[in-house]
Amino acid sequence: MTLFDFIQLFAKIAVVLGFALTSVPFLVWFERRGSAWMQGRVGPNRVGPFGLLQSVADVLKLFTKESFIPGHVNKFFYVLAPVIALAAPVGALMVIPFGSHVIVFGQKIVLQIAEIDSGLIFLLAFAGLEVYPVILGGWASHNKYTVLGSLRGSSQMVSYEISMGMSILSMLIIYGTFNLQEMVFWQSEKIFGFIPYWGVVVNPIGALIFFIAIFAETNRLPFDLPEGDSEIVGGYHIEYGAMKFGMFFLAEYVAMVMASALISTMFFGGFGLLPGFASLVEFVGTFTSGSPETVQNIQAVFEFVSLLLKVGFFLFVFVWVRWTLPRFRFDQLMDLGWKILFPLSFVNLIVIILVSHFFVK
Amino acid sequence: MDSLTYAFFGLGLVAVILSVIMLFARTPITGALSLLGIMLTIAGMYGLMQEHFIAAIQLVVYAGAVMVLFIFSIMLLNLKKEVLDFKLMSPSFLGTLVACVGLFVLLVSQLGLHFESYNYLVPQGQFTPQAVVDLGGNTKVLAHALFSQYYLSFEVISLALLVAIISAVVLAKRKFD
Repeated sequence: MTLFDFIQLFAKIAVVLGFALTSVPFLVWFERRGSAWMQGRVGPNRVGPFGLLQSVADVLKLFTKESFIPGHVNKFFYVLAPVIALAAPVGALMVIPFGSHVIVFGQKIVLQIAEIDSGLIFLLAFAGLEVYPVILGGWASHNKYTVLGSLRGSSQMVSYEISMGMSILSMLIIYGTFNLQEMVFWQSEKIFGFIPYWGVVVNPIGALIFFIAIFAETNRLPFDLPEGDSEIVGGYHIEYGAMKFGMFFLAEYVAMVMASALISTMFFGGFGLLPGFASLVEFVGTFTSGSPETVQNIQAVFEFVSLLLKVGFFLFVFVWVRWTLPRFRFDQLMDLGWKILFPLSFVNLIVIILVSHFFVK
Repeated sequence: MDSLTYAFFGLGLVAVILSVIMLFARTPITGALSLLGIMLTIAGMYGLMQEHFIAAIQLVVYAGAVMVLFIFSIMLLNLKKEVLDFKLMSPSFLGTLVACVGLFVLLVSQLGLHFESYNYLVPQGQFTPQAVVDLGGNTKVLAHALFSQYYLSFEVISLALLVAIISAVVLAKRKFD
């Protein structure tokens, strides 16, 4: 591995991690202000302009609190659980492409940390690891509420993973590749010259199932049964305090960022330019020397911005849904997962297979 | 040796340590979690060998599905008796330990003797790293091999899984009837 390879890899990791982690305080702020706005309240508005520094104050508070481990817990697994909670979604971010490529010093740099063939399965693998912190944290705390929360959480995540996998499978049939970068290129064409040829246009039912399943996978309302504040206090992380709780909190938001990036890559064109951005690239290109490398770099920047806008939109939807829908009851959740989403995703998969076999060459 | 080789052997060392922990664990959940750790390190080793598909499948199947069920059932059953019954100093355990260590030392010494002979005795297969890249990547080559040359064995293995599922259902039903 040459020095250039090492530096570019490091830079890509820094960009992805930087954007994913620094977006969290803003997201928390937005969640609070947004909820206040939807419920006709004021929300945090004292610390900084529009209360923007409220999250910074919260983080400072969490950092300076005493790191306390209760006496009745299983210490090793108690400390391990928040680490896995944060590691799993961060690991999954590694295969999300955030641009086609840039050219620096005459060398082509593909904007994806791990350029691997089977990117989507890799993502699924890391999404599957997100069950462990819920199970481990709940079990290691030795508390009735935490065990209830982790039981609910693990059964919920395992059930919804099936319909999620089915909808991903139907998209794999359409794209014919595991490679996320190739999926984005597949979606870059347009129908009749103006409708983007996105996965959601091709397979709307699959997109809807995936969208519902991702809420259950990230434990967000209306599927936040592992936490269920009004029923089991705080679910699997009651016994956690200070920054160990902070890591669970951070992990939830990083998982949201990861889920939004995944859904925009698979169903909404990924880093493909938003409608109208192509002319913007040309416009900015006129101010430069206009060499192919410069145009490519400008395009990569706009691709990154397009992905950020799409991810931002889905993060907004996450907050919007949370403050609009009430929590499901556990039997309703299981009914929805096993009796509606699972058969629907299965039928959808079969229809997609038949259509792509008989009508697409 | 470059840094990737060191990482490979590092992962191997971690896997060996975790297997020892798994064997000597006093609580079932420690054993199950060390097994999970072994699965993860082996997936990492596959990844370092550029076999990303196998690595991801290893994670999905073993870490994402099998071990979740293991840990879920251990957690539900909350096994306490097993912790008390196990004694490190019993004669049968010590005998097994000595036999295992002896076998391990013999195996490693034989491996050390014949490690280099692999290079000149075994002919090079047709799927060199460059050939795999030329054919369109790891996943594609594997899929073509599985669904053409090895199609029958692939289906027979899935039949074996079906047999296991049906027998599990039969056993569970007999208990309730």
